[in-house]
Amino acid sequence: MPNISPLAEARDFGQEASALTVRDCAKTYPGALALAGMDFSIAAGEVRALLGKNGAGKSTLVKIIAGVVRPDVGEIRMRGEIVHLTSPQIARDLGIGLVNQELAIVPELSVAENIYLGRWSQASGRRAFVTRSVLEQKAAAQLAELGVDLDPQAKAGRISIAHQQIVEIARALSFEPRVLILDEPTSSLPAAEVDHLLGMVKRLAARGVAIIYVSHRMDEIPKIAHSVTILRDGRHICTRPISELNTGEIVRLMTGGETPNFVHDSPSSSREVTLRVENISDEKLSNVSFELRQGEIVGLAGLLGSGRTRLLRTIYGLSRPAAGKILIMGHDGAPRSPAAAIAAGVGFAPEDRKREGLALNMSVSNNLVMSCPGKIRWAGFLSTRREEAVASKSIGRLSIKVADANRPVRALSGGNQQKVVLGKCLNAGVKILLLDEPTRGVDIEAKNQIYDLLHALAAEGVSVLVASSEVEELFVMCHRLLIMAQGRIVATKGINDTTLEEAMQLAMEGTSQ
Amino acid sequence: MSDGDAIASTGGLAKPRFPGPRRGRLATDLLSEHGGLLAALAALVAGSVIFAPHFASIANLLDILRQMAFTGIIGLGMTLVIIAGEIDISVGSAVAFTSALFGVVAVNLGWPFPIATGAVLAVATLIGLSAGAVRAFFGVPSFIVTLALFSALKGGALLLTDAIPIPILDDNFNWWGTGAFLGVPVPALILFILFAVFSVIANRTSFGRSVYTIGGNAEAAYLSGVPVAAVRTILFGLTGFLAGVSGLLQTSRLAAGNAGMGVGLEFAVITAVIVGGASLFGGKGSMLGTMLGGLFIAVLNNAMVLFGVNSYAQYVANGLVVLLAVLISTLRSQGGSAPGVLSSLKRRR
Repeated sequence: MPNISPLAEARDFGQEASALTVRDCAKTYPGALALAGMDFSIAAGEVRALLGKNGAGKSTLVKIIAGVVRPDVGEIRMRGEIVHLTSPQIARDLGIGLVNQELAIVPELSVAENIYLGRWSQASGRRAFVTRSVLEQKAAAQLAELGVDLDPQAKAGRISIAHQQIVEIARALSFEPRVLILDEPTSSLPAAEVDHLLGMVKRLAARGVAIIYVSHRMDEIPKIAHSVTILRDGRHICTRPISELNTGEIVRLMTGGETPNFVHDSPSSSREVTLRVENISDEKLSNVSFELRQGEIVGLAGLLGSGRTRLLRTIYGLSRPAAGKILIMGHDGAPRSPAAAIAAGVGFAPEDRKREGLALNMSVSNNLVMSCPGKIRWAGFLSTRREEAVASKSIGRLSIKVADANRPVRALSGGNQQKVVLGKCLNAGVKILLLDEPTRGVDIEAKNQIYDLLHALAAEGVSVLVASSEVEELFVMCHRLLIMAQGRIVATKGINDTTLEEAMQLAMEGTSQ
Repeated sequence: MSDGDAIASTGGLAKPRFPGPRRGRLATDLLSEHGGLLAALAALVAGSVIFAPHFASIANLLDILRQMAFTGIIGLGMTLVIIAGEIDISVGSAVAFTSALFGVVAVNLGWPFPIATGAVLAVATLIGLSAGAVRAFFGVPSFIVTLALFSALKGGALLLTDAIPIPILDDNFNWWGTGAFLGVPVPALILFILFAVFSVIANRTSFGRSVYTIGGNAEAAYLSGVPVAAVRTILFGLTGFLAGVSGLLQTSRLAAGNAGMGVGLEFAVITAVIVGGASLFGGKGSMLGTMLGGLFIAVLNNAMVLFGVNSYAQYVANGLVVLLAVLISTLRSQGGSAPGVLSSLKRRR
């Protein structure tokens, strides 16, 4: 394990020539201002943590720097020269590397082949042939420079996720970047492997690479970052040395001090417990326990990779916990399949509705009745009349905007597609609703309709467990918050007894350690 | 959920429109979904009637129906398999195996014909179900499972008979493949009955709906509680059963249990299904389309025989037809002409 000091060595980067400067950049998407008057500058050898809530403009800024998105106005300079980052290839050739949180690893190829993906013959110095030994020597040298002990011949699918992440970084480094962007690099890493990655980031910075580090985990930022840039609502709020800020101040700067003020009458604690989770653990969750009552809406807050999605999927029976118990309506045992979960009264709306929620080419009506075949049968056969009745009731109740229920669900807006997913769960008559990012990619009107729907469902006695990366919206929706960090529930707060700042601070600090 | 909920239905459109009653669907579908194929079929028939004098004779037309039946019967099951995004290339060998097995049990072992028939169909169905189970529960791609089965059944058929046809001379039995009822060839009658049954399965049962849903998005189907593994298993049981039926009818027609039967039949069947508008990517296809696709191929091959075209050229022609059919459907969906895409989706209800 590399040795990591609690605070990176104090250095003053203010005087040094900047590796990259963004000046007065703005970007507008149809109907939304993503970035306005953005100034950003980073020096060679500096590690800069980039923080901001969802929609603060982090990913737009990162994409502009990496050449993925072109700004409407503004200039970008590298070492004082104006550059035009019109494509990711050009940005890469100019010395900007981007490592996304989603890994692009080909599991059946070796570590060396992954590092030089698609450039095997150039990298091995031949025109048309690939010389494996040369490739492996170069990869070994690259990995040694990173201080990583990793066999270049190993199949990339067999190594740990941290090592896969390192392979991605080595690939970015093989282009010899002067600026390296790491987007939530530790979100998919087990706690034990995080230090490994942080040590490598420090060594890279020591070699003079400027590093933009997108993360909100306050347990790691002070260990590696020299400075912090905070964005809010598409604007640059401040850039300060990390030593001048604590988590509380960072959160205040991120939220702008706003505290959503919603008063929710929590359902009485005497109501029946519909879902009880007792000490479940697996490789991503540790010792998670909580209860969900009839008519209660409970929010799962936490950073990317904190275990929100894993917890929901485990309750739905998609992965089996190594230890612990799940009781649904008092019955012991997690469902063994989605069909069993639905039969037990549990519905699940997954995060990726296009891949997991809907059959996009099928009609709105077909999708709405997907989980309730029994409701649309008559004398053993599907009844068009019954299907129409079920579908038009859902369309009315959920305000799904569609002129013809036989239109493919693909033709609907994101918000209306999400309503179809919810309608599908509700038509199955579930009593417990598990929602993963129910408002992602949903317009504001549909968001509000979804919030209203959840409150109405709760009033009818449905229990809702909802995960969201937008903590503010959990304040709008929920009676109670479970705050997760690194697979644990670090705090449970009644919504009227906490503030947005406190909740975010708890999620970012992950204080259970 | 109670009706008296407090959702403000802001912005929701008044009442969703559902298209007209089911009664008119067959006719509407014929035109909107299969218009191109129908036009091609009409042109082919017209050309044949004009230039091949014997084409329009009743005897020839009935023969076309009989020929079409042997592939068409399997095509009905194959349509469901392909809609679910799967493939079954074992059906030709399954026909050979069925024929050989029937010859052995009915002639060599002397079982009564009805019992032999039942036993052979049960075995064919079980073999299909087993292949489906391997696909569904072990996640082996269906192409590989049925490739293995293709080889094994072919070998099994040859082992059973030593590659020597077993003559079956029984007027009652031979009637099923060669005879006619009210003038219609028996295999064609069986095809029509099965067509009706499979149309109901595809459009009016939970099983059929599940097949379309799995083909549309298997992951979403699974997460929505659709019994994906069971449906996949049953699908291959259906093609196994239908291959058995077709194998018995061909055995009856040729009056012999013959391990050499069904060579290349799997591709004739898949051709009919694809020409009928099903997509190998899954989610799309219909029984009616498969019937028209099968009819088109049968008429084309018949016309080529009547024109005296070299029989090997028929394979080339069939190849071109498949390619053309797939190209047209791909272009149509890429062109994104709303009516075309929509009508293809309406079909799935």
